[in-house]
Amino acid sequence: MTNKAFRGLFICAVLGALLFRVVRLDVRPMHHDEANQAVKFGDLLERGEYRFDPNDHHGPSLYYLTLPAARAAGERTLAGLDETTLRLVPALFGAGLLFLFLLFAGGLSRETVLAAAALTAVSPAMTYYSRFYIQEILLVFFLAALIAAGWRYARTRSGWWALAAGVSAGLMYATKETSVILFAGLAAALGLALLMDSLGKRRDGVVRDGDAWVWREARARPPRAFHVALFLIAGAVTAVLFFTSFFQNPQGLADSVRAIAASFSRAGNPGFHAHPWYYYFQILAYSKSAGNPVVADGPVWSEAFLLFLAVAGGIAAFGHDAGKDGSPRFVRFVLFFTIVIAAVYSFIPYKTPWNVLPFYFGLVVLAGNGVGLLLRISRFRLVKILILAALVPGFVTLAVQSYRANFVDHSDPANPYVYAQTSPDFLKLVAAVEKIAAASPEKKDLLIKVIAPPDETWPLPWYLRSFGRVGYWTSAEAAGKIGDAAVVIASAANLEKTTAALGDGYTSNFYGLRPEVVISLFVRRDLSDRSIGAGPRR
Amino acid sequence: MKKALIGISAAVLGLALLAPAAIAQDPGKEVLKISLPKPMFVGTPKNIRTANLEMITGKPRGPFMVPVGTALLSAGKPVAASDKEPVIGEVAFVTDGKKSGEDGYYVELGPMLQWVQIDLGKSQELLAIVAWHYHSQARVYRDVVVQVSDDKDFIGAVTTIFNNDHDNTAGLGAGKDKEYIETFDGKLFDPKGVKARYVRLYSGGNTSNDMNHYVEVEVYGLPAK
Repeated sequence: MTNKAFRGLFICAVLGALLFRVVRLDVRPMHHDEANQAVKFGDLLERGEYRFDPNDHHGPSLYYLTLPAARAAGERTLAGLDETTLRLVPALFGAGLLFLFLLFAGGLSRETVLAAAALTAVSPAMTYYSRFYIQEILLVFFLAALIAAGWRYARTRSGWWALAAGVSAGLMYATKETSVILFAGLAAALGLALLMDSLGKRRDGVVRDGDAWVWREARARPPRAFHVALFLIAGAVTAVLFFTSFFQNPQGLADSVRAIAASFSRAGNPGFHAHPWYYYFQILAYSKSAGNPVVADGPVWSEAFLLFLAVAGGIAAFGHDAGKDGSPRFVRFVLFFTIVIAAVYSFIPYKTPWNVLPFYFGLVVLAGNGVGLLLRISRFRLVKILILAALVPGFVTLAVQSYRANFVDHSDPANPYVYAQTSPDFLKLVAAVEKIAAASPEKKDLLIKVIAPPDETWPLPWYLRSFGRVGYWTSAEAAGKIGDAAVVIASAANLEKTTAALGDGYTSNFYGLRPEVVISLFVRRDLSDRSIGAGPRR
Repeated sequence: MKKALIGISAAVLGLALLAPAAIAQDPGKEVLKISLPKPMFVGTPKNIRTANLEMITGKPRGPFMVPVGTALLSAGKPVAASDKEPVIGEVAFVTDGKKSGEDGYYVELGPMLQWVQIDLGKSQELLAIVAWHYHSQARVYRDVVVQVSDDKDFIGAVTTIFNNDHDNTAGLGAGKDKEYIETFDGKLFDPKGVKARYVRLYSGGNTSNDMNHYVEVEVYGLPAK
């Protein structure tokens, strides 16, 4: 492949990745978790306040990396923020992932890099969670950066790459405390790759396979102590900076260790997030209703094409020839990492679909290698073209599913990437409250009381962020007198007591928060009548 | 006299103008700032509940008293609908006596305002109408309006039994009835003995999607002799 062709195709992949990631970022209602993060970020944006919370939030990197995006958008307040600005951060990291594949040069052939980039660009899982204001895609980006920097270091022995690897590792930890599992997976994969090398070498220390210089050299010249120190110090400094809120909260570092304990505790006690071991593979292989008992027949979702290619790429890792500039050892390392992490994540009962991403990243690299293998089957140009033509429908199928997942069925429970997603119906409640405020003499300073448990409160705080007087209580008893509020929003469990307390002076309407979760909007009758005068509420 | 009136008016006006300023400028006072409780952070909520919906409204419906001899009038009666080609199922499901919440037991009509209409064959005294829209999932149907009439086109002599379309989205007049969460109990509407041959139920989407569903509708009354 010529340099020109490679550059052209790679740019196409990047443009495709951007198209799926940055267009209409506001189309999906804010998820409970996204709203949590957004409100947390609001404190950092408005007052520069951030304290790591080891219980209900992951690492600080997402918030600090959102600051430049918000500043660039000219936003200084939570009320001024919008979904697009927030989601642009993971979206850009999701697209940026493609550039990291370029650093795998030497480990992956050019065909493999291109295929992996194209698969990442159109992957339903990658695109969906790149448009999600949570930590996962950042974690995958820094994971890829760590592997890439490690690989470059292995090839060049440059201290700069050791430094980059350390910063990447620190950012992984600062993104999600569960990155310790990924560190263990990387170490295990490296150990397995070296073990396999040692089994394959002759007594004189010469490795049997071709392209042996990397690992042989690595054994002959272990990393310099200075570089190891550089790696560790860079990682530690990065983690300390973020977790201590840049030295404003020294407690944050200790809290990050507590968060690891909390995560392991959650993993062992998954509650309603317990799913069978095959959950992730089921999502990827075949899904019709996302295992949802109340969803009628929907379209089929499947990334079987990617899985098939990943298996082929995994098998190719044990071959002798990975193309003129590829290394089977590097692919074997990725394969071992993918297997170890997939096994560990499948073993952990606590599962949410976005946790698939770290080993899904490995699957993408392996699938790229699978494409490389298929293209190496024959030396004849015509055969290669025919193979490529046969693969095109697979890529198109993934792209079509990405379109459906992100722009059509973005909140449909039958979409396997959707999990506890806020219903589009909820936006009607938000619109109704906005309309009532507009009809009220107090405008956005009208008193709103929300009576709902925390899991039925979000994403209200995000959507009501521009209102001046909103109070949140978890029960009707805790709320005390509620008849002084112009608007009351109550969960179903608080409905009876709220209705009794408000009497006939309020109108009430239901709205869907999530599948099977409805909340009720009570509006003081005079305001309700006034807002109806301005047209129907829906 | 005229001068006195002007003087009094000027004094009142002056007080009215100055009083708020005096309050605002009172150095011993300030606006009371009341801090409201903030939302509690919590992790990812539950995705989907089970197909067996728990009773989230609390209590089951109490007994509903009807005269002796009251019978189910709607069983197997012909059903018409505004959506001539339902998305899922058939309109005959509405009166087939099967009330299971699973797939295959409900008819799905298109989005926006839709209706189903049962022809009881003759005008009869109606004592209860029970409707199950969809009870496998907690959801609320919007703009539910129940009407009865002897006119199959519902143009003349229409009696509205229930209407929770409080802002008149459906264009059938604003209603004062409350919205309700669907459960396996169904929703009972009281026609209070009105006589009619046709029963029509409207809805305009629900809290889960924009579609309209019916598992079953039962109309009870005293059979005409």
